[in-house]
Order: sequence, then C-alpha cells, then structure tokens
Amino acid sequence: MTFNSASLAFASPTQVCLELSSTDLDRAWEQSQAFSTTARRWNAYLNRLCLNAVLPWLQQEYDRHARVFPHLAALPSFWEVVNGVAIAHLSPPQTRIALPGPRLILIPSEAIDCTEIQVPQEWVDIPSWIGDYYLAVQVNPDDGWVKIWAYCTHSQLKQKANYDRHSRCYCLKEEDAIADLNVLWVARQVCPDEPTRVSIPPLPNLSLERANALIQRLSSPNILLPRLEIPFPTWGALLEHSGYRQRLYQQRLGLNEQWSVVDWLQNRISQIAQELGWQKIQMQPSLAQARGEAETPQPILSKELVIAGQAYELRVIPKADISQGIWRFELSSNKIGDRIPGGFKLRLLTEDLQPFEDNEDIAETAVDLLYIEVALEPGEGIVWEIEPHPENCDREILRF
Amino acid sequence: MRPRQNILEIFSTFIQFEGDRFSAWASDPSLRRSMQQCLANSPQHQSSPKFWALYWHKQWQNNATIRAREHLTAYLQEVCFWAAQKTAAGFGSSQYSLSDYFQMAIARIEKILNNFDPQQGVALRNYAKAIFNTTMREILRQRQEVDICTAWGLLRKISQKRLMESLQQVGLSEKTIARYILAWHGFKTIYAPQQARASRKLPRPDKATWEALAAFYNSQRYQQLAPDETEIDSETIEKWLIACATAARSYLYPSVTSINKPQQGNSESELLDQLAANEGESLLTAAIAEEESQTRQTQTAQMSQTLETAIANLEPPLPEILQLYYSDTHTQQQIAAKLGMKQYAVSRRLSKARQLLLQKLANWSQENLHITLNSDVLKHTSTVLEDWLSAYYKPTESSRTE
Repeated sequence: MTFNSASLAFASPTQVCLELSSTDLDRAWEQSQAFSTTARRWNAYLNRLCLNAVLPWLQQEYDRHARVFPHLAALPSFWEVVNGVAIAHLSPPQTRIALPGPRLILIPSEAIDCTEIQVPQEWVDIPSWIGDYYLAVQVNPDDGWVKIWAYCTHSQLKQKANYDRHSRCYCLKEEDAIADLNVLWVARQVCPDEPTRVSIPPLPNLSLERANALIQRLSSPNILLPRLEIPFPTWGALLEHSGYRQRLYQQRLGLNEQWSVVDWLQNRISQIAQELGWQKIQMQPSLAQARGEAETPQPILSKELVIAGQAYELRVIPKADISQGIWRFELSSNKIGDRIPGGFKLRLLTEDLQPFEDNEDIAETAVDLLYIEVALEPGEGIVWEIEPHPENCDREILRF
Repeated sequence: MRPRQNILEIFSTFIQFEGDRFSAWASDPSLRRSMQQCLANSPQHQSSPKFWALYWHKQWQNNATIRAREHLTAYLQEVCFWAAQKTAAGFGSSQYSLSDYFQMAIARIEKILNNFDPQQGVALRNYAKAIFNTTMREILRQRQEVDICTAWGLLRKISQKRLMESLQQVGLSEKTIARYILAWHGFKTIYAPQQARASRKLPRPDKATWEALAAFYNSQRYQQLAPDETEIDSETIEKWLIACATAARSYLYPSVTSINKPQQGNSESELLDQLAANEGESLLTAAIAEEESQTRQTQTAQMSQTLETAIANLEPPLPEILQLYYSDTHTQQQIAAKLGMKQYAVSRRLSKARQLLLQKLANWSQENLHITLNSDVLKHTSTVLEDWLSAYYKPTESSRTE
C-alpha cells in the first residue's frame, strides 16, 4: 500500500492519520454493495473506510469498548440517505461513573481542501442522533489513508456554523473548528463540565398513515435525495424511528419485507435480522409442557439482549397455530436460575409507537419471566420495548 | 536577509526578492508617513514592535482598514520569510521558489488578522508563524493532489465552500454561481467512482449520466434557483462543470501579482488619516492594556520549565520524535524511515506526545495563570505549545523572536 505517499508528508502533528491496507479497502468495498445508486454506494464506502480506520484507533487509544451506534447491521439504512456515522457513548473517565462519556459523530469527506466541516442536519437536529463531538475525517481511498483534521462540538455547530438550506447541512468554517484533536481529550480531563450540546426542540409525531405514505413516496428510485424532499421536521421524525428508517431502506432497494416474523418462522430469518441477533430455536419440550402445550417441538424466535451488563433473552412464540395470530413475547435471564430485577418493563407498541390495552408487563420485584400475549391481524406491525434500554439495540418493527 | 531594526522600517517596508533570494527592503512612502505620524503622537515609551502590532491589530478589528492590514503585512515580513525558508527546506521541490512560498503564505494575512485574538496571550508574530507554516504545507498538499486528478475526480474532491470561493475568484455573478453549484450538486449526487480505488482518475461521465445530470438540474431548479431560470441540456451541464473544475484548479494557482507590496489609492489614505486621528487615543490606551495583559499571561520562563520537565519524562522514542520533527527538515515520512517505523505510527506517537504536553501546559496555566479552561482556551494553548516546541528545538530562531 502506498501509505507513505507524498501527500502525507504534509501531515501536521495535530492531525491523526490512519492507514488503510489493501485488505481494508477491499473489505470495505465488499461491505458497501447494497445501495440504490452508485453514488450512495460510494458514500457508504467512504463511511465504511472511515469507520474501519477510526473505530479500532479509538478502541486502542481511548476506550476499548468503543462501538458503533446503534448497531453495525443498521448502518446501511443510515448511509442510503445520509452521510456520517455515530460512535456510541464512550466509557466515562473513571472518576465520573455517573455521567455517560461523550458521543462522537464521524463525518467523512473526500474533499482535499479542508476548509469546512459539512454536517448533515440529521446529526444535529434529531434528538436521539446528536453527538457531543463531530470529527471531520478526510478519506483518501486512492492512497489508503484517513485523516481526522478537525472537530467541533454540537454547540459550536449550533452557534457558529452557517446552515445551508440547499444541502440541509451545518457548515462550519475550518477556523471556527478545532484542528487539534488532542484538545478534545485534554478538555475531557481538565474541563469535563464544559457543555458540548445545546438543547433542540423535539420532532413531531407521525401517524402511521402519514409515515406509510411518506415511505411509499420516498422509496421511488426517481427521488435521489429523499432527505431534501420533505420538510426537515417530518423527515427527521421518519428517520428517528428506526423501524421506519429500515423500511425506507428496504423499499428504496426494492427488497422484500425483511421483518416478517411469520416468514422467519416458516422459511428463514432475513440477513439483517440475523445480524441484529435474531435466531430460530426449537422450544424446549419441558417448557412447552409446563405451559400445558403440545409436545411437538415448534420453532420460536429468540434474540439475546444485554441490559446493564447482564445477558437476557427475548422470545417471540406463536401460540398454537400461526394462522390464529396469537403471539407471546417473553423476556427472561439468559443464565439459568437468574431472575429479572424489579423495575424491568416489557412493553409492546403499535408501529407508530402507540400503547394499547394490556401491552405491558412490569416486574414489581424480581421475577423469572416477563411476558405479554397479543392477538394480531395478519400484516400488523409491533414494536417491542424494554426498560432499562438494552445496549446495542435499535427499535424494530416486527411484522406478523 | 538583514532583519529590520527600527519601528519605522518594521511597519513600512517590504521584502524584495531577486530570483530565489532576498534582495532588499523596499519602503512604502505612505505607510512610512502614517507610521511617522503615529510615533510623533504617542508617548515616548511606546517603542516596541509588539506594542505597535497590537495597536494596528486593534485598528484592524475596529475598521478592517487597508492601512492597518498593510502595516501588519509589513510587520510580519520576517516571520513569513523564515516560514517560507523552512517549508522550502523541508518540502523543497524544484517547482517552487522561495518567493512562491512567501507569496502563498502572505496571501493569508487577512485570515490571520481576523482570527488572531490578542486576549489569548499569544503574540501576533508567533500566531502568524504557525499559520504561515500550516498554510504553505496545506497548499502544497492540495496542489499535489489536484495535479493528479482528472477534472471529474477533482469535482468530487472539493468542498462546496472552496468551489464557491473559486467561482467568486473567477468573477462570476451570483446567479451564475448558483447555477453552477446546483449542477455540481447534481454531479455529486449522481456520479461516483465504480471501483474502490478510482477516485482521482474518475473518467468523464457517459451519455446516460449526462442526461441524468441535466434532468436533476431541471427538476431541482424550481426549489433551488430563482423562478426565472430556464431549462438546460446536457451539453450546457458539461460546459459548466468543466468551468467549475477549471476554477477550482486555478484557485490553488493564483497568478502572482504583487500581493506583498501594497497598492494604495491616495484618497483612501487621507480618509484613513482622518479616522486614525479621531480614535488614535483610545486605540493607544487599548493597545497598552493589551500589551500588559499579554506580558502577564506569557510568563515564558516558568512555562518553558514545565514543558522541558514534561518532555524529559516522556517515554522513548517520543522525545526523539519531537526533536526530529520540530527541529525542522524532518517530515514524518523521514522520521519514519530513520526510526524504522511506519509513518502512521510516527503520526500517532507525535500526536500522543503533544497530547501529554498539552495536558501539562493546560494544568500549569490553570494553576499559575488562574485561567478558566475551556475548549477555546485549549485551542489557543495548543497554538502556544506548537510555537513553543518549534522555538525550543530550534534555538537559532528563538533568539530572533522578540
């Protein structure tokens, strides 16, 4: 690899340069194939290169637990419509366990003039997406390196950046950003209370009909830039619901329904659901018996979750015949003999996140099992939620 | 080069090059008059260059007058010259002469004046030196990259801000620029490399892509442009995009007019004299206060000791890397070759070493200068550190700074 290319001879000591090997490039290219257009594929590729270089560096230098937000498997649904990738909250410094560590947003760009950081509005104005620090990363695939050339905070973006309404980006001039990434780490040490974010207004609620109509419209291959097609608050609300975001991605690529639980049980679990941890298992006969059910083993769905450092299992079980549409959601500890601590909640919501009758099971004290049974129409969508929130998890719409 | 000695010269003369060498100091009569007048009207003890630099910078901040800029351009001649020399020595290519480097750097003067904040305890000369150095490096890096890109590759590798500036520099109207930017926006949205390593040599788009680009423009123009804009065809799109690429390329290669030597209209200079007479006194007072607070803040000796101790405590090979890098002439690449490491490893260590030093320096200024630390202060502390490191490892030059 030509990492020692002359263009890097000019690197300054305040900028972090990271190498990409031939293998890194090939791997990232392979990982970046499923997109609606060549330009989206290229954008995903740049993001992937950036992530594949920066994340291991973060893990090595600052926090070995650093990981992507929300989940690696979810990234294509982001990159199909927007540039940038988030790193989940880093571990806090040891002295301040109570506070979450900072959240970083990587903004890759292939621009060779490092004159501005252009941050898509989504990373600044969608409440659950915003970060503490935005890192400007120049990606050079031809020579095989990435360079973190500056960074800024959310509040700097809100206060000093120029909002470009044509591209819906916050553009911060290079001189208003901080070129020395060391300032970030030192600031975390010496002035950890300095505010990095400003508060932003919440986004509107979208009704299911509205969301469906928008997804339908924005899935048209003629719409190259769905993010600029509808007013930002509506667009932001659509993306913030990861179930909608996944569906938009799926439909823009012309894929079949990837979240059909019935299809998972009758055929196979989709690739994306597998990557997100869903698997098909045979219900243990003893358990089935205990519930007074038939002894013939039936397949059920299971997903491992980590909540506050402990492993749990979420199961989706068809009661009797699938066609009857009665489903049971169960949460239990993954370790035999361990119980679910008091205060845990298992909750089901409609696709547009509305509660319904008997949609919740709460552990008043430690219990073995939380469960909910629901009757669902064919094609109906359900979103599950657990409190406290599982790590590494994103909202998903399961289709029945 | 013969460094200038008296205040009058320092604020009114400019370097003349002959071939690749310094030839003489050329005096600008109107700047000389202006400076003479200022000196005559000010208390005797205000005779340090640093004081007058602060004075003119105050005036720049208040009015952004051409005269203030020119006095400060004159003031920063040596600093720029040394930075140019350093760059030529470190990254020397037969392509550029010393005066080319000098021109690249001095052209950034307005940006330096706009971003310099005297409150932060760094002297203007030192701040400018750091910016001159990085500016030249940046321009070289960008030129090198631009030179090997096709027009289409270049269009993907340019920021919107830079493209705007390039088009403005060519002198296009606001309306034309808006059209070009929209065409370019479509290009970025539709056309991208098809292979993992083909971004520089991106070929000319095919016929179908040109039609898609025209269609994008024609559909987006309703939202993005003025209502009277007309539909265009794919040939026009291509013509515009080529114009964008050409403008972006020539932005990095401005024709060298004498950016250094000021050209000043007489009428303006009279007007400025008027202005200066009215606010002269308050500016003097402000500059005096600033100079005092800067002196209080810099307490250089103590700071040096803190940093020297910190360097001595760094693990090997960090001190050696710092030494090689900051004593000039060694690029990260050369250090890598010398220490038998990869360049990215050098980059990481250098960064790590600087982080440790920045932390020490921040702690020191918190304890000794009672500064409340925040990111902005640390950003400037980082500039101070950069300046200190290059002075520390290069004693000949530190003896020249004031």
